[in-house]
This record gives sequence, structure tokens and C-alpha cells, in this order.
Amino acid sequence: MRGTLPDRALGLTLLALGAGIAWHAQSLEVAFAADPIGPRAFPTLVAAVIAGCGAFVAARPTALWEKAEQVVPGLVTTAAMAAYALLLVPLGFILATFLLCLVIALAFAARPWQAVLSAAVTAPGLWLLLDKLLDLPLPRGPLGV
Amino acid sequence: MESLTALMGGFAIALTPMNLALAFIGCIVGTAIGVLPGIGPMNAIALLLPFCFALRLPPESALILLAAVYYGSGYGGRITAILLNMPGEPSAAITTLDGHPLAKQGRGAAALAVSGIGSFVGATLSVVLMTFLSVPLARIAVGFSPADYVALIVFALSLLGAVAPGNAVKAWAAGGLGIALALVGIDSGTGIERLTFGSIELLGGIDFTVLAIGLFAIGEVLLLLETRMRMSAAALGHGARLSLGELLSCIPAMIRATGIGFVIGVLPGAGASVAAALSYTTEKRISDRTGSFGKGDLRGVASPETADNAAQIGNLVPMLSLGIPGSGTTAVLLGALLMYNITPGPLLFTQRPEVAWGLIASMYVGNVMLLVLNLPLVGLFARLLAVPGWVLYPGVIALSFAGVYAVSNSAFDLLMAVGFGVLGYVFRKLDVPLVPIILGFVLGRLLEDNFRRAMALSDGDVLALFGSIPSLVLWACTLAAILWPILRRKAA
Repeated sequence: MRGTLPDRALGLTLLALGAGIAWHAQSLEVAFAADPIGPRAFPTLVAAVIAGCGAFVAARPTALWEKAEQVVPGLVTTAAMAAYALLLVPLGFILATFLLCLVIALAFAARPWQAVLSAAVTAPGLWLLLDKLLDLPLPRGPLGV
Repeated sequence: MESLTALMGGFAIALTPMNLALAFIGCIVGTAIGVLPGIGPMNAIALLLPFCFALRLPPESALILLAAVYYGSGYGGRITAILLNMPGEPSAAITTLDGHPLAKQGRGAAALAVSGIGSFVGATLSVVLMTFLSVPLARIAVGFSPADYVALIVFALSLLGAVAPGNAVKAWAAGGLGIALALVGIDSGTGIERLTFGSIELLGGIDFTVLAIGLFAIGEVLLLLETRMRMSAAALGHGARLSLGELLSCIPAMIRATGIGFVIGVLPGAGASVAAALSYTTEKRISDRTGSFGKGDLRGVASPETADNAAQIGNLVPMLSLGIPGSGTTAVLLGALLMYNITPGPLLFTQRPEVAWGLIASMYVGNVMLLVLNLPLVGLFARLLAVPGWVLYPGVIALSFAGVYAVSNSAFDLLMAVGFGVLGYVFRKLDVPLVPIILGFVLGRLLEDNFRRAMALSDGDVLALFGSIPSLVLWACTLAAILWPILRRKAA
């Protein structure tokens, strides 16, 4: 019973998602559509497929969620990536990327000096490659780089 | 003959210095990511795609680069399979069966040589087949009505469930989810907002690079983080090198494997892994008289590696001629073309010959480059396996975000990429395949457009979807693709 729980949750989520999309599609009103079926029919059909598959998965769960050997590095990395999305523009590319690379290197079991080295090479290296060499403008922070 | 003239035009494109350089870079990157377990061509192409776009590479150059990464990865996966007994690419799994025993006998160099030559033979013969088959195939599809296209796309999506190794229903759900993601944004037919939840950022729809990078670059790294990696590679070995006699004895196996690989590759949905497995079992049945397969038979290395590369090229045929990708990576390539506002399909060969023929011609060149790169430099590529994760993956993630930012300049898209990364990780844990999401995403709008066009033509009569011979054949195939997993389960 416990082993099938993730699959049941997945099935029910898909079912709810399908229902949500179908409900949303019905609210689409247009005064005039160039074709006879308008913007509503297709999303409704797709929603039915998602919901139907979801119901099937929930009714006949199969998979076993393989337990992760470790969860902390993944969680820390996800948090760091979300923070990076918000801090990239205020901090500038080099600083923000240095911090992100530092966290990810540590998550991949680097020793502190290895992580600092990896981040200190990767962040300015990418900035040189992308901003200077390939001319793709990256955000400049308070440092001007 | 017509094809040959067009191919010459393609060479004029492929042989310009920039395109040669891009093919060369693609071949190196492709082999390298093929070697590294965990990162595949899909990750690498998703990573490179935004840069092609932001650098304003012309579409044919972008495609030459991205495709070289794709078929180059077929050369890299075997190196890891033979030396490490662990596939660098999923499609190289079969290669471990005979490749690793050979490495343990000290004949790693011979196994790498024969598989490199096999990869070259399979890929090059398939490019020749592609040269002559693409236009006739496209010509069949020129006459397709919107209703026929609806049937074709539904067939391609349903087939994903039938050939997927896991749960067929989950594959279909993933396909539906991909289509739903493609619907986000302003409906082109009526200008109404759909599934945007009032968000301004979502008005323009979800960017393909955000989805691809999230699912395949970020999600993959998250998955790698949950296990502690440990591996040790076998040495290249000092045993007898590959002799000419041994190589010649593998030729029939390579020819058969090319045939199997190419046919499997052309079928939408079935990928290189299926081709490699089928080719190996067939070869074993035909030529294993002494029971040497599985204990280190060179033909057991040549066969799956040849089929693997032949199938990769075969996968490109429906993508270019019909606009229907046959695998996840070709779906990403299709998404790349769509970003350039080029719709692959029957008209591509006449309207944008520089894209279609430039790509085909570049694959002749690229495979020669790969052979030259892979025979002498195999040791160098193998050394990549010693690069620790803390050097590699911070760079992968930083490059992912830089790519998303280069295309969109938006923090919202970066967050969305993280969200898709988490989704990709959770789906992988739940055994939900990700390829149908990408396929549904790139085909979703096309499916709806054709559906609505068909309904407009028939004035809303749904029966019009079943009104022609091609559509009836395709619907019958779709029905078979849906029933097959159910019957398979009953039988098991």
C-alpha cells in the first residue's frame, strides 16, 4: 500500500489538472471565431486525455519510488537555483554565478577549497566566454561586471 | 539524380568555413557528452539551443551544430559502455554485453576500434539512404490534408506509449501534459488568453528553451545529486589490436545492423535503444555458432553500435520530411527549427533547401570527422570519465541559466526553468517518461491548428477526420498502438 502511494498521488494530481484545464477551457468565450469549434474544444479534449490517464494511474498504481540515498544536496541546490533566479540581476552575473557554483560544487561533495576553486574558475570563465567573446550581454551588478 | 544535384547544393552550404567549424565543435561536444553518463544529447542540445538563437546563427548553421552533437553522442556512449560496463547513453546499454568482457580481456582498444568503425558505417550508410528516401517520403506527405495531419500527429504521440519501456498510460499522460503546456498563451486563432492565470509573463507562451533546459539539464543534475557517484574505468588494455581479418568478419553484422537500425529509426517513437537491442538479438541468432556472444565477441560490439547510429540518423528522416520527430532529441531539434519560424515538413526540401540539404551534406562530413576524432583520440575522451562532478555540474547549471537568460532576459523564465527541473526530477522518480512532454509540446500547436483547419473545411463535421485513405490507415495504426500495450500486459 505504502509503495503505491506516489503513483496514486500522481494519478490524482493528473486527474485534478485535467479537470482544471477542462473547467478553464469552458470559460473561454469569444464573440467571433474563424473556425466552427473555437478555442475551447481542443483544450477540453487534451484535458480529457490527461484526466483519463490520471484516473487509470490512480486506479492501478504500479511504480515504486526508489528511495534517494541523500536528499539534502538536491534540496539545497534547488533552493540555490531559485535564489539565483531572483538575485542574478541585482548581484550581477559573476557574483551570483560564483555563489551558485559554490553551492552546487559543495552539493557534489567537493571539499571547500575545491568548491571555491571550481566556482572561481567557472563564473568569470563563463562571463568571458559569453559576454566578451560571444557578445551576449549578461547582467552587471554593483561591481560593474 | 535530382537528389544528387540538391545534395551538391547542400555541400556548398556544409563546406563553408563557419559550418565546417560548427560541425567540428558539435562532433567534439557530442562525443564528450556521449561519454559522460547522465548527460545525453538532449541535455547538450537544450543547453546550446539558446546560444544559437541569441548569437543569431542562421538556421542551417544552428541545425548543423545541434545535429552534430546528436549523432556525435552515438560515438561517445560506447566508450563508457566498453570501459566502465555502464552505458554513457541509454542506447549503448547493449554494447556493455560484449564490450566490457573484451575490455577485461585486455582488448578494450580493439572493441573501441570496431565499435567506432561500426558507428561510422551505420551512420554513413544511413545518411546515403536518407539522401534518396527523404524527398519521396516528403512527396507522399505533400498531399496530406489537415485531417491527415491530425491523424499523423496523434499516431506519433500514441506510438510513444506503445514502444516506451515503462507504463504506456504514463507516456500518454505526459504527451497530453506537453500539449497543454504548448497551449499556454494567446490563442492565435482568436486572440484570447488561455491557461495564463492572468500572468503577463505567460502571455507569449512558454519558451521552448525554458522547458527543455528545465526538464533535461536541471532535472538531470537534481537526479544525479541523490546518489553518490563512484566508478572505476577499465584500462584500454594492451591486448592484440584489431586485425583486418577481424574487422572484415564484422562487416556482414554491420550491414545487417544498418538495415535494422535505419528502419527502426524511421518509425516514429522507436528510438536507438530499441534498434540496438533488436540488432544484437538478431545478430546473435544468425551468427553466434559457438556461443561466444556475451563473452566478448567483436560482432556483439559492432552490431548494436552500428544499429544505434543508423537509428539516430533514421530518426531524422520523419523529422525533416514529415515534420514529425521520431525521438526526444529530434523533437528538440524540431523545437529549434520552430524557434526560427521554420516548420519542417514536406515543403522544407523545396522552400528551404539550404536547411534540409545543408544538414544532410554536413552529416557526411561530420561522420568522417567523428571517425577521425574517435579512432586516435579515444583515450582522451575516456579520460573525461575522471573529471569529478564538482568541476562539471556547476558549469552545466550556470550555462543552463545563462542560456535561458540570453534568450529571454527574464527572471521569471529562470524560476520557471527551476520549476520544470523539479518537475522533471519528480517525473523521473515516478517513472513518467519526459520525451512525450517535449514531443507533445512541439506538436501541440501544430495538432490544434490542423484540427481546427480540418473542422473549418468540413464545417464542424467530426467525421471528416476519417475521410481519406491516409487518415484511415493512420487511425488504424493509432488504434493498434493504443491496444498493443494492453495486450502485451495481458500476455505477460
